[in-house]
Amino acid sequence: MHSEKRLVGKTVPRFDAVTKVTGREKYAADYYGDAFLWAGVKRAGVPHARLNGIDITAAKSIPGVVAVLTHKDVKGTNRYGIIRKDEPILAESIVHHCGDAVALVLAEDRAALRHAIESITFDYELLPGVFDPEEALKETAVKVHEDSPEGNIIRYVPVVTGTPESAFNECNTVVEAVFEVPRQEHAYLETEAGWAYFDKTGQLVIVVATQTPFRDRFEIAPALGLDMEKIRLIVPYLGGAFGGKDGITLQCLLGLAALHSGGRPVKMWWDREESFLASVKRLPARMHYRLGAKRDGILHALECRLYFDGGSYASLGGEVMTLAAEHAGSAYRIPHVSIKGWCVYTNNPVGGPFRGFGVPQVTAAMEQMVDMLSLKIRMDPLEIRRKNIVRQGDANCVGVALTQSTGAEECLRVLSEHPLWREKDTWKASAGPFKARGVGIACMAHAMGYPPVVPDVANAKIELTEEGKIRVYAGVVDMGQGNASTYLQMAGEILGQDITGMELVLPDTERTLPSGSSSASRTTYTYGNALIKAANTLKMRIFEKILPLVQGSDVSEFVLAPAMVIHVPTGKEVSLKEVSRFFSESERVCTDNFTMPVVKGMNDVIYMGPHLIYSYGTHLVYVEIDRLTGETEVKNYLAVTDAGRVINPQVFEQQIQGAIAQGLGYALYEDYRVAEGVHLTRDLATYIIPTSMDIPEMTSVPVETIEESGPFGMKGAGEIAMSGPLPAVANAIYDACGIRIPDPPFTAEKILMAMQDKDRGEISQ
Amino acid sequence: MREVFIPDHLDEIWDILEREPKALLYAGGTDLLVRLRASKTLEPLICLDGIHELKEIYQQGNLVFIGSCVSHTKLMENPLIQKYFPLLIQAVKVLGSPPVRNMGTIGGNICTASPAGDTLPPLYTLGAVVEIRSIESNRLMPLKGFIKSPGKTALQKSEIVYGVWISTDQDYNVCHYEKVGQRKALAIAIASFAALLKLSESGIIENARFAWGSMAPVIVTSQEAEGALIGRPLTEESLRAVVPLVEKAVSPIDDVRASAEYRRIVAGNLLFRLLKHRNHGNT
Amino acid sequence: MKVFFILNGLQTIIDVDPDRRVVDILREDLQLTGTKEGCGSGECGACSILVDGESRLSCLILAAQLEGRQVVTVEGLAAGGKMHPVQEAFVEHGAVQCGFCTPGMVMAVVDLLSRNAEPTRSEVREGISGNLCRCTGYQKIVDAVEAAAKAMKNEGLRVKNDGEG
Repeated sequence: MHSEKRLVGKTVPRFDAVTKVTGREKYAADYYGDAFLWAGVKRAGVPHARLNGIDITAAKSIPGVVAVLTHKDVKGTNRYGIIRKDEPILAESIVHHCGDAVALVLAEDRAALRHAIESITFDYELLPGVFDPEEALKETAVKVHEDSPEGNIIRYVPVVTGTPESAFNECNTVVEAVFEVPRQEHAYLETEAGWAYFDKTGQLVIVVATQTPFRDRFEIAPALGLDMEKIRLIVPYLGGAFGGKDGITLQCLLGLAALHSGGRPVKMWWDREESFLASVKRLPARMHYRLGAKRDGILHALECRLYFDGGSYASLGGEVMTLAAEHAGSAYRIPHVSIKGWCVYTNNPVGGPFRGFGVPQVTAAMEQMVDMLSLKIRMDPLEIRRKNIVRQGDANCVGVALTQSTGAEECLRVLSEHPLWREKDTWKASAGPFKARGVGIACMAHAMGYPPVVPDVANAKIELTEEGKIRVYAGVVDMGQGNASTYLQMAGEILGQDITGMELVLPDTERTLPSGSSSASRTTYTYGNALIKAANTLKMRIFEKILPLVQGSDVSEFVLAPAMVIHVPTGKEVSLKEVSRFFSESERVCTDNFTMPVVKGMNDVIYMGPHLIYSYGTHLVYVEIDRLTGETEVKNYLAVTDAGRVINPQVFEQQIQGAIAQGLGYALYEDYRVAEGVHLTRDLATYIIPTSMDIPEMTSVPVETIEESGPFGMKGAGEIAMSGPLPAVANAIYDACGIRIPDPPFTAEKILMAMQDKDRGEISQ
Repeated sequence: MREVFIPDHLDEIWDILEREPKALLYAGGTDLLVRLRASKTLEPLICLDGIHELKEIYQQGNLVFIGSCVSHTKLMENPLIQKYFPLLIQAVKVLGSPPVRNMGTIGGNICTASPAGDTLPPLYTLGAVVEIRSIESNRLMPLKGFIKSPGKTALQKSEIVYGVWISTDQDYNVCHYEKVGQRKALAIAIASFAALLKLSESGIIENARFAWGSMAPVIVTSQEAEGALIGRPLTEESLRAVVPLVEKAVSPIDDVRASAEYRRIVAGNLLFRLLKHRNHGNT
Repeated sequence: MKVFFILNGLQTIIDVDPDRRVVDILREDLQLTGTKEGCGSGECGACSILVDGESRLSCLILAAQLEGRQVVTVEGLAAGGKMHPVQEAFVEHGAVQCGFCTPGMVMAVVDLLSRNAEPTRSEVREGISGNLCRCTGYQKIVDAVEAAAKAMKNEGLRVKNDGEG
């Protein structure tokens, strides 16, 4: 087993908690100053239209309005996008979705801003739109982008392992079903916000809530016609993001505003309604599944067609669908697989990254398929999973050998021995009047990091300051998951410091080093590995500097302790401040980098290549359905998770519990409704996210495999639990009352109506 | 910029309304200020929160008076309300959320006149009477007739809801409120049901008052359903017989939260929840 | 118009438009950015402050309504450099992730504990039901409130005993 450590493996209260709980921590929305201007946007409000003219004359003459800008004022390409540059900063001749920005206003105060935005009008001609991905694939469908090379296809991904067509003939039992999953809104409490100005050197400085400060510059520069080297992004803690701030939100608009503010700083802060209208959403999907098994319940063949609604811009929709395709078979051994995935343009809201990134969608389908199959062959749902769940060394559904830590089977075993599993039948039997109780399980896997063609690299930087403090320059944005605090914990472990005595610099393109996005469950792994190397280098350097102070000593005789170095044989203590005097300026700072290991030589298996390292989980949920109203209450929840070694039990639980809550929202409450491209869901009154009274007590049990390649043996934990709740709840609802709702969220109405239909059907037999 | 008036005394209101006939009244602001978010006009506002006599709760003989600006939280904490009208407390407990209950008022809930208003079904079953005041008059009107349609009440120009009167002579021993919403807090009722029953010791229904919310433009009551249960035992069978009467009495609509069909089914189904009170006195 | 009120224990006079939202007064005019805005329509609780001891939504209070009131924001909770027991418990029990809901949540909890000094977990959930959190799933917040209630009770006993000693 691994040795007991001082900090790693322990619950250390988060470094950022005190400043956040006292209200002192400044978020991007908290920047104000003297003589700044407010910037705001006029949104299109129509899903597909030809723009024939924008009238800004009234807006310009409103007192307090400093500038009103349209696409004509954009000096660069006026295009951005991570994969495909198909998004305009300000619309030109075509509006592609309701959230398109049409004009940008700068004003002295919010009242003038609002007045000006209201007075902007534009002449438009509604164009027919397409609002369903399968419809959009038809030859006759309206083209969302005239210049798109493959019509409405953003990405098509086929994956084949074995010989799936003939394999179905070898199956004793086959089940087939179609599943839909809804559009989900991130609903982070902090809406999009930023502050920008040109400094004395002519550099554009943007303080902004973004998950991708280094990559953003690649998009901002050409879009605005600026020099990339002269754009600086500073990123405070985000008030939540979950993928919704991965990429450009308001950075280009802020830059454009700053170019026209007469040297004054500019501030933009989207209100909730604008955030809903303009931000990316989880891609909804329709998934056609066919699963076949042999007589003994061994899974043999899987065929699926996945249709992901990418909305009006490519964003990372194709990549979401690709990761989904890679996970379409969940955590099972299936030798014959055919997966076809399409991500398609429509005139719906833009689909983009959201915790899970396609995996919750397919897991929702696959885990229900497994239950349906287990029912058909009269096998216990736990048993069928036990028979098929992947073990280390197995090949997964896309044919990749799982050489790294693979705790899936252990997760299932732990669940099967947990009191919640053992007591489920007793619990179910004691349902009260008009209540139906059910229990459901789901397994899941989640790949960590970027695919092979996108190097997952981080550059760590750590410093011994003149004051003798250890300062970590965090390269990856902390959007609430606590990775910044975990960096301090890891560095503190190596350098013998308590995190409260350390210093942290949050991501800043001028001061910290490029380390990739805060996404893909890689935010602690990659940077952590780089940091460990840099911290060890610094440690050695400290000991080497101290050697001359203690005669006859060897580096092995020293240990680090809070604020000091101790020569163990003599007990002599030297403060770090004292040690620091012996460092030259350049010696204070140690940097190092790390690149995540990848699968080699299999890039033809799937677009961008397959992943190597996975986290796993198994979930169990207790639900109680009210027969009078159809309302479903989640009474208990168990999540067993393999994310390698747990660095900080409290932070680990934070991630698991938070993901479960978002997953339960996805399953039961959250339905972002759009009709013909028009947002019917407008705000937090109509988009229902769970309150404290809707989430049950949750139990989280870690299965601590050791991921050898990971910092202190860990791997990603941020997304894995997101995929469990929807299928577990669906399976539990079936267990309770024998119905399966094909289109979540499983609202009371859908359940009541389905129960009624079922009762009527049974009576008439 | 809007003008905002915060009068200290009732008399000041008439003067302000005279000068500013377009002024909008509010107490907690949890309905009005949210609606005004999308507004493009700048009518003056009158906040009634500073007027003490509108916040009183007292008993006068066999009547209890509740001032229109009594907040939902204050209502829940008041011993008179707890003693005489536990049904109202049950409803207010599931209204909005704690800060919304601190700010929102019974008068506001009445004047917003939404069929989803949580205080309304209980107030209907309790036979609440609204006291309406203007500079020169003071009139009473049963709440049932006071609310005309969503957002519309019988208030005339320059009148305010002064308060609500409820009789303590309520001959019931079972009270019951249930709200169906999209979640357990911060939820607009998709369906709601208030009931008062008088059960004999042997479980016979001697008296019944029902009211349903979110089932029509105004709160729905049904003397037919109530009458059909008098003299019957509180059993599943008795209630089932009455369900068709309930489904006939309600006229729900489809909206963003639920369909009419669902609401109609739930209106009848909620009756069965009364069975838990079979051993009466269990309020 | 001039408005006089007590803010975090200090007598305060401001001169603002009467319909200016209190959340904007706090954040923009008084540089107290601890109070956040998440929706502007009373649905999320991020803007919660205490007015005369009760938690209220500052996005739905207008300047004129402040006259004569006692207002406490998150910045006013720590006394003499020491955090409020609720804040300490939040830190210790992992109740803070992104932290954006946290100030409003803390104010709601202070109100809750002033009315109910020993709430059950269920009562805690009800007490914070007007504060949306997208990160935590609420469980650690409930853990923190239970711990804070115990700590405040012990502190109350300690103060009481000291007083009697």
